[in-house]
Amino acid sequence: MNLGISAVEFVSQAKDGTISVEEFVAKTLDRIKKVDEKIHAFITVDTQNALDKAKEIDKKIKSKDKVGSCFGMPVSIKDNICTAGIKTTCASKMLENFVAPYDATVTSRLKSEDAIIIGKVNLDEFAMGSTTEFSYFGPTRNPWNPEYVPGGSSGGSGASVAALECLASLGSDTGGSVRSPASFCSVVGLKPTYGLISRYGLVSYANSIEQVGPIAKTVEDVAFLLNIVSGHDPHDNTTANTGHVDYVKDLKSGISGKKIGIISQMIGDGIDKEVASATNAAISQLQNLGAECIPISLDAVEHSVAAYYTIAAAEASSNLARYDNLRYGFDFSTEGYEFKAFVSKARSNFGPEVTRRMLLGAFVLSAGYYGKYYLKAQKVRTMIKAQLDEAFKKVDYLVSPTMPILPFKVGEKVDDPLKLYLTDINTVTANLSGIPAISVPFSMSSSGLPIGIQLFANSFKEKELLQAAHALQETTTLPEITL
Amino acid sequence: MVDRKEIEHLGDLVKVDLSEPEKYIKQVEQILNYFDNLDKVEFHSDDTLRTQVTSDGLRDDVHKPYGDSLIEHLKKDQNNFIRAPKMV
Repeated sequence: MNLGISAVEFVSQAKDGTISVEEFVAKTLDRIKKVDEKIHAFITVDTQNALDKAKEIDKKIKSKDKVGSCFGMPVSIKDNICTAGIKTTCASKMLENFVAPYDATVTSRLKSEDAIIIGKVNLDEFAMGSTTEFSYFGPTRNPWNPEYVPGGSSGGSGASVAALECLASLGSDTGGSVRSPASFCSVVGLKPTYGLISRYGLVSYANSIEQVGPIAKTVEDVAFLLNIVSGHDPHDNTTANTGHVDYVKDLKSGISGKKIGIISQMIGDGIDKEVASATNAAISQLQNLGAECIPISLDAVEHSVAAYYTIAAAEASSNLARYDNLRYGFDFSTEGYEFKAFVSKARSNFGPEVTRRMLLGAFVLSAGYYGKYYLKAQKVRTMIKAQLDEAFKKVDYLVSPTMPILPFKVGEKVDDPLKLYLTDINTVTANLSGIPAISVPFSMSSSGLPIGIQLFANSFKEKELLQAAHALQETTTLPEITL
Repeated sequence: MVDRKEIEHLGDLVKVDLSEPEKYIKQVEQILNYFDNLDKVEFHSDDTLRTQVTSDGLRDDVHKPYGDSLIEHLKKDQNNFIRAPKMV
């Protein structure tokens, strides 16, 4: 039995009885046992429940009962997305024992289509980070070389898919957190348009920019998952009523005659040589597929990282004010404490990156600095959106490398937060403006580390974006993981 | 210039006891210096992005009783109360 098949192939084989769901899930659990010691993608593995559910689905298939479209596909979920009955820790001591009383909308939609939630995967604490090193439970490692970071913050999602520990995963993307691990782990990751997927049950970090996003081996799998998890949700007023869109249908339409803008600010100085040459190769492939590629300048991109971290920190400091360790959290008696002293003591258990962002958030929002930082960041955001609106009058898509650099070693940048922030230069634009962006695995560096290419489209143009991403992925032949 | 007093004040604002405030001084200052690049931006408009949400999306104002599952995993004592430290 091959665990390396795509999610869509799994569905077709489970449907016609070629594979038994129970066997596949059991083998996936064995795989997790074998490789997760090295990778540490999982925080929780829901072994018994996964096996029980698999048996139940096999029975339904045999007796020709109605089965949901996932046919028992094992998926992992980032541990900041609520799952009733299993812990949702956000990789933080502050929530180490938290069990959500309800499922996030994305979780319940997957369950209702008979996906099996095989476990919860690692992230930077509260999704704040780009490497998954800031997890309270320890870092996740890159399945292509465990000495290297898997990207982040959805590092557990990217690594679990790449290491064949599940067929697909849901992550969340606030500043590149789905696309960065997709790029570093050689899988596909989509940050959808703001409002396409419900955030109900996603633990809030920066509400105005974050979105849940699917990660899988192929663009087709991502389209398949998007069909299930996207759409209006009465529990999330920011979801759009887009009507029914089938993202899988017409996926193979190609991009002949389309126009693609190459973002000048994302392929210039500071970019790794091998990443630059992979990007040029990808552009040639897009041209071979019949697209016309032209340079596009978006000068507001130069200010995007400063604007992004100002806004994200501001929203984080306000969102994280709710964690007081009273209703849930870790064991720590209130005896002998005055209220504020207790809360401040408990909250000293946040990790260094979360603390840093809360301090920065409080600073940029404080009287006297609000106009200097926060308001200007909001204006940069408007400027980026305006420049993108102009760009999309001329082109259908934009292209850039997903990450400006190759994956780096665990521990290499962990003490230099600004250096880490700057690696988000190519991804934050999509979050600030709300537009969709996808990372497609494109090539491998000479040292065997993955390089991903990023494509952007205008808001709610996911269908077209997935068509281009599929066409690009079809041009590649990448090695299989040897882990 | 960020100093120890400033970091401690910020720690107080976000209600976090900072055991080693000096650890944050240099990093926060370095990041704020980078944020200062926002001063160089030439704005042609004072607009900020706004999203309008219509109020007809609100649910009906009906009482929905909660079940035990909602409080099942809370940190509570044997009488089902959450213990908080004294306020004054």
